[in-house]
Amino acid sequence: MSTSTPSDLNRRAKGWTGWVLLILVAVGLIVVGTTRDTGPRTPDERIEAISKRLACPVCQGESVYESRNTASNQIREAIRQGVDEGRLSDEQIIQQITVAYEGEELLVPTGSGVEALAWALPAAAFVLGAAGLVVAFRRWQRSARSLGAATPEDYELVARALALESSEEQQDDARDRP
Amino acid sequence: MPVIAVSLNGALGHAGLLLMLAAAFVGALSTGFAIVVGNRKGIRQATVYAWMILAGALLAVIAMQRALHTRDYSLDYIQKVGSNSTPGIYNVAAMWSALEGSILLWVLVLAGFTAAVAWRFRKRADDPLVAWALVVMFLVCTFFALVSFGPANPFAAGATVPVGFDGRGPNPLLQNHILVLFHPPILYLGYVGFTVPFAFAIAALITGRVGEGWLLETRRWALFSWGFLTIGILLGGWWSYEVLGWSGVWAWDPVENASLLPWLTGTAYIHSVLVQQRRGMLRVWNLSLLVATFALTILGTFLTRSGIINSVHAFSAGQIDGYLLGFFGLVVVVSLGLIAWRGDRLRSPGAIDSPLSREGAFLANNVIFTVFAFIVLLGTVFPLIVEALQDRRTVVGSPYFDRLSMPIGLALLFLMAVAPVLPWRKASTELLRERLFWPAWCGVGALGVAVAVGATGWAPLIAFALAGFAAGSALRQIALATRRQGWRGLVGRANGGMVVHLGVILVAVALVASNAYTESTELHLTVGDPVEWGGHTFELVDIVAETTPRTDVARANVRLDDDRIYGPAITTYLQMGQPIGTPSVRTGLTHDVYLTIAGTNAPVAGSDSAVLEVFRKPLILWLWIGGLLMAVGTVLSAFPGRRRRNPLEPVSAMVPEPVESPVESPIETRGEDVVSGD
Repeated sequence: MSTSTPSDLNRRAKGWTGWVLLILVAVGLIVVGTTRDTGPRTPDERIEAISKRLACPVCQGESVYESRNTASNQIREAIRQGVDEGRLSDEQIIQQITVAYEGEELLVPTGSGVEALAWALPAAAFVLGAAGLVVAFRRWQRSARSLGAATPEDYELVARALALESSEEQQDDARDRP
Repeated sequence: MPVIAVSLNGALGHAGLLLMLAAAFVGALSTGFAIVVGNRKGIRQATVYAWMILAGALLAVIAMQRALHTRDYSLDYIQKVGSNSTPGIYNVAAMWSALEGSILLWVLVLAGFTAAVAWRFRKRADDPLVAWALVVMFLVCTFFALVSFGPANPFAAGATVPVGFDGRGPNPLLQNHILVLFHPPILYLGYVGFTVPFAFAIAALITGRVGEGWLLETRRWALFSWGFLTIGILLGGWWSYEVLGWSGVWAWDPVENASLLPWLTGTAYIHSVLVQQRRGMLRVWNLSLLVATFALTILGTFLTRSGIINSVHAFSAGQIDGYLLGFFGLVVVVSLGLIAWRGDRLRSPGAIDSPLSREGAFLANNVIFTVFAFIVLLGTVFPLIVEALQDRRTVVGSPYFDRLSMPIGLALLFLMAVAPVLPWRKASTELLRERLFWPAWCGVGALGVAVAVGATGWAPLIAFALAGFAAGSALRQIALATRRQGWRGLVGRANGGMVVHLGVILVAVALVASNAYTESTELHLTVGDPVEWGGHTFELVDIVAETTPRTDVARANVRLDDDRIYGPAITTYLQMGQPIGTPSVRTGLTHDVYLTIAGTNAPVAGSDSAVLEVFRKPLILWLWIGGLLMAVGTVLSAFPGRRRRNPLEPVSAMVPEPVESPVESPIETRGEDVVSGD
């Protein structure tokens, strides 16, 4: 076989050098994509980001960004004013609005008190699931080891069964042919 | 005459529900008794009860439709959702626009599934597995018929109304888009469809036939239910996009979460069930997933229909919560009890050899989906927990779910990339290096395209790369299969599943792109003064008023890019008085332009200025295309690929030469699962 056949090239490309090249290109692209300058945030982007973090005061679970009711419209207008003034940071605008509007809440549980459970429980569930998998695989490996390695007789048995199967198939094929 | 017609609807409806209730209850008792005493003739009667249940449900629904059609205001429900001015198709959909009618829709779909099971298995009606499954279906029917006949009765008599009374009609949001006709019924086909595999699972536990037989019987039922649930959820997103005016498809609203929960456990199930079919393992786990899926549909209905959690979908408070919670508890307790009772038979022989295997990938998938379901459930009920513990209001919304679902989504995309090339039993790194090479370059290619068109942010970029990687793996499998088998390489579980994966990948890319790169602004438009934004020109043509007997519409006609005119509007439904924004959308392959009138105050007709909220949403069209592909893939994977595999047949290609030394296991390098489509 000559070294320049396509399949041979394909095989050689899939060696470690090919993979290293792939990883380098991928990392390079991600670095380019994440570090390039996209300019300062526009007022619209700030309004969107802030209104997505605030809960609509009269609905449950909807953000000011999503909600179309009058209360949310008012808050969106207040955010727009805050952003247009250009003096306050996002956090300060949010602070101002939660003070000004009764019943106004953030959509994300805080990291303290009971609300920390909203963050701790998912993490715990994930750890539990992963640990469960590890334990299960340990047990399976132990039970597989206790069976012992396959003996040459086992392999012979399999080979005989496969040979029988393939000879039957050949007979079938021969029968099918006119 | 009208008096007779009026009482007829209520009477027919009650008769239908009563027939269903009686047939279901008596059917469950008599069939169960016949199985226990071994009366074969009695067991075969189950089919008759199933048809009676369907007849009863049909009668009730026809009576309800007739009552809606004739505006029969003697019924309380019609007073609530009926109106003389509701157009025909929305009047049909008005049936499921409030609690009682939506339970009636549930009842109809459930009765339909019960009859379908009886018909499908009619030749094996005296098989105890089938008979017990029907008993379980009858019991579920009994419960829902009871709820519909009792606390959520759509045929209850209403207060006397004056002559010439006109009802308010359905919620305005439920009568301005054709999708309200399709989204709820299709979603319910998915929800209720999972009752069938659940019933067979319980039947398998009762009969002790906990092997793989019942799984094979219900494979397509589970698959189609999953498909309908998927399509139903996506149609809901589409409806939200077209109607609600904030240009989003998913808001993590409690009712949306309630539909997502069974979808997550159902998705875990249709994957892990493959491990059981192939290896006879994970029996308890699969049963638990099915029980969880069914129980979560009940719990979701409880959470959203009982009024303890409010949402845009929630109907009314407190009518049926006791019933649903009781039924949920019963389902969980009985199922877990049966699993514990059959514990010895459920213990499966065999072991999963390596985490780096098809089975290992399915297990990882299951852990991720289960944790995802847990997070969605936790986030949904979290305000209740805080209220119970500290008696104060909290809100858990999109930012919480977005933050937690992002790593989960990335992990699932990664699994979708790696799992399809993994053989059963065990894979070597050699083999992975070989099979994953070109799919991984597909990922790099997708990343390159994303960077070239200006995508930023590490999470979206990694998502695009993994999506390309996963698409490469799916395409690799499809290419190998079609090369060997022609068009048949597209059908069967493994190959059809890859078509579903391609759909999921499109959905994921569309969601990531539209979440991360949507731009929006408020445009102050004046007639004759075009404004440029986001690469488009917007020119206000005029503001017109359109009045129908039902609505007042104020429409702002805007010419987009000197081309077509789009007309976002504010619609006021006269019976409701509540103004509703109606967006207008220009759909495109790369992005949509979404126009809506800012605020809820209708602009004055004839005036020469309007304030619009405009969104530029990238790739959103691909969300619907991806959904379509998922539906097609589901159908393809429901049918067997090649002829059924002989259990003695080797799973993989033959090793060309006899192995010299028996030390290295031949399993490791074999096991390509491409040809065995099923």
